Amino acid sequence: MLLARCPWYVAGPLLGVLIVALRATVNKPFGALGGYIDLVDNASAPRRIGFRGSLLAGLALGGLLFALSSRSFAPSFDYARAGHLLPHGTAVSAAVLVIAGIAMGFGARTAGGCTSGHGMSGTSLGSPASIVATLTFFGAGVATALGLALLSGGGR
Amino acid sequence: MRVPLVGLLFGTAIGFVLAWAQLTDPDVIRRMLLLREPDVFFLMGSAVAVAAVGARLLKATRTRALVTGERVGWSVERPRAHHVLGSVLFGAGWSVAGTCPGPVAAMIGQGRLGGLFVATGLVVGVVLRGSLERRRAGPAPRYETPATAGL
Repeated sequence: MLLARCPWYVAGPLLGVLIVALRATVNKPFGALGGYIDLVDNASAPRRIGFRGSLLAGLALGGLLFALSSRSFAPSFDYARAGHLLPHGTAVSAAVLVIAGIAMGFGARTAGGCTSGHGMSGTSLGSPASIVATLTFFGAGVATALGLALLSGGGR
Repeated sequence: MRVPLVGLLFGTAIGFVLAWAQLTDPDVIRRMLLLREPDVFFLMGSAVAVAAVGARLLKATRTRALVTGERVGWSVERPRAHHVLGSVLFGAGWSVAGTCPGPVAAMIGQGRLGGLFVATGLVVGVVLRGSLERRRAGPAPRYETPATAGL
């Protein structure tokens, strides 16, 4: 039952309510990038990992809970073909994924936030910087996807 | 100690929803960025709309945060070049990987271990940028952004 995809008109407002509840509980934003920074900065002293690192750990735990409750937990390294844009071959696509991750980590820290911090939290608070960042990464994301699809012959 | 626990609980709830809505599936993100499926745009838009109304209600009613006791509030930031430059790079990586920092964590939890490659890259990128910032003396981009960026 849970395997069915939760429609956007349920998942979207639900995420909105969770973001508001987080604000009402600890007056903090929802942002994933900060979790990586928190983990990296405190890697040598895990007891100092705070709110942001715990939130990120929770995201992984939530994914696990979903997989278990929907009986879909079957660990594997298969990556979705992502519109056939990722190259064939495990080693090559792994390298591409690492490089994409580096671009995201470096870029998001430069921009001061990612899809969650800027895209959801910051825009909902009306922060001009977050609105600019969000428009920019959506623009860059769409341009990259369409460009790569064109290069790879339609990307079907 | 209670604040990190709250973070863990909310992270778990959000991660569950991300997985349930299949935002942890790179093909879903890909279809959105190829402008073939509007669902994720609607999802983010409705989340932002609800969060925007809720945050303003909390502020207007001068609510105090349940656990920390502080009055709900935030500051906003003026856009600067680093927001744009960083986001161009971020958007390109997002598009290639078909996932981003939050969903990839839920993806890994779900057992889609290919996400570990992306997460490895994320850590490397975050460390590189951090060391670059530390090496730069003077007024490099500042991140005194307590509420908006949500770092």
